[in-house]
Amino acid sequence: MLHSVLPNLLAAEGGGLFDLDATLPLMAVQFLVLALLLNATLYKPLGAALDERADYIRNTQAEAKETLATVENLTREYEVALADARRAAQTTIADAQADAQSIAAAAIAEAQQQARAERERAQLEIDRQKQTAMAALDAQVDGLSRQIVKKLLGYELG
Amino acid sequence: MLNVSNVLNSGLIAELEVGQHFYWHLGNFKIHGQVFMASWIVIAALLIASILATRNVQRVPSGMQNFMEYALEFLRDLTRTQIGEKEYRAWVPFVGTLFLFIFVSNWGGALIPWKLVELPSGELAAPTNDINTTVALALLTSVAYFYAGLSRKGLGYFADYAQPTPIMVPFKIIEDFTKPLSLSFRLFGNILADELVVAVLVFLVPLIVPIPLMILGLFTSAIQALIFATLAASYIGEAMEDHHGGEHE
Repeated sequence: MLHSVLPNLLAAEGGGLFDLDATLPLMAVQFLVLALLLNATLYKPLGAALDERADYIRNTQAEAKETLATVENLTREYEVALADARRAAQTTIADAQADAQSIAAAAIAEAQQQARAERERAQLEIDRQKQTAMAALDAQVDGLSRQIVKKLLGYELG
Repeated sequence: MLNVSNVLNSGLIAELEVGQHFYWHLGNFKIHGQVFMASWIVIAALLIASILATRNVQRVPSGMQNFMEYALEFLRDLTRTQIGEKEYRAWVPFVGTLFLFIFVSNWGGALIPWKLVELPSGELAAPTNDINTTVALALLTSVAYFYAGLSRKGLGYFADYAQPTPIMVPFKIIEDFTKPLSLSFRLFGNILADELVVAVLVFLVPLIVPIPLMILGLFTSAIQALIFATLAASYIGEAMEDHHGGEHE
C-alpha cells in the first residue's frame, strides 16, 4: 500500500509531499487576511468587551470598598453615639434611683418620727391614767382598809 | 502487493493519496486546490464563530460570546506569558490567529468526513497537512519576530546576536533558519503522520480499533496548535527582550 505511495513522495512532477509552489505565498496572504478579519470581528470587539468588563469590575469594586468604608465609619459613629446615650441613660437612671431613695428614706424617717412621737404620747397618756388609777385605787384601798379594821376591831382607828 | 494497491485504488474507504494534489492553475502558477478549499471552510468557520460571538456584545456574556471570550482569554494569557505584560497586546491577533487557524484546521481535518467529497485528484484534508501551509505560517512567524526585534531595537537587534559572547553569533544565525524549519516540519509531520496512522489502521481494522488513535490524534492536533502558537509568541518575545538589563527603559 505504501509502496504505491512512495514514488509519489519524491516525484517532483506529479506533486509529492514536499511540493512547494504558489500555494505557499497565497496561503501566507490568506492567513494575513484572516488575521485582519479576525482582528476586526473577534480580537478588537471582544478584547474591548473584556477590558470594559475588567474596568467595570474594578470601578464597582472600588466603589463598593468606598461604600463599605463609609458604612464602617457610620457604624463606628453610631456605636459611639449609642454608648454615649447608654451612659447618659444610666446616669439618669442612677440619679432617679438616688432621688427616689432619698425621698423614700426621708418619708420613712418622717413616718418613723411620727410613729415614735405618737407612741411617746400614748405612753405618757398611759402613765398618766395609770397614776390616776393608782391614786384612785389607793384611796379605795384606804377606805376598804379602814372598813376592815373597823369591822374587826369594832372601832375606828385614829 | 500489487493486488493490495489495486484493491486500495479501486475505492476502499481507507484509500491513501499522499502527495497527490488537486491542481489549480493561476496563470503560470500551480496551486493546491484541495488545501485552499479546506482552508476556506476553516476560515469560514472561524469568521462565522467570531461574528456570532460579537454580533451583540453583552457585559454578562452568554452562549457563543462566552465561548469565544474563553478562547480569547486563553490566547491573551498564552501571548502574555511569552511576550510580557507590556508588549503582548499588539501580538494577540497574530499569535491568536496562528492558534485558531491551526487548531481548527487540525480538528477539522480529523472530525469532518472529507472523504464524502470526491476530487479528481488528491483529497480534502486538514490544510496543515500540506507543507505549503506550514511553511507559510513558519515564514510569517520568522518575519514577525524579525519585525518585532527590528522595530523595537533597530539594527541593535543584530548586535544582540553577540550578546552573551560573540561565539553565539553563528549559532544565532543558524537558529534563524532552524526556527521556521522546525516549526513547519513539526506541524506538517505530526498532522500528516496522524492522518496516515489513522488511515492505515482504518484500512487494516475498520471498526473500533482506530478510535483510540483518532482520539489521540485530536489530542496531538490540539497540542500541535498550542506548540506552534506558543513557540511563535516565544520567538517574538525573545526578539523584543532586552539583553542589557533594562538600561534602555
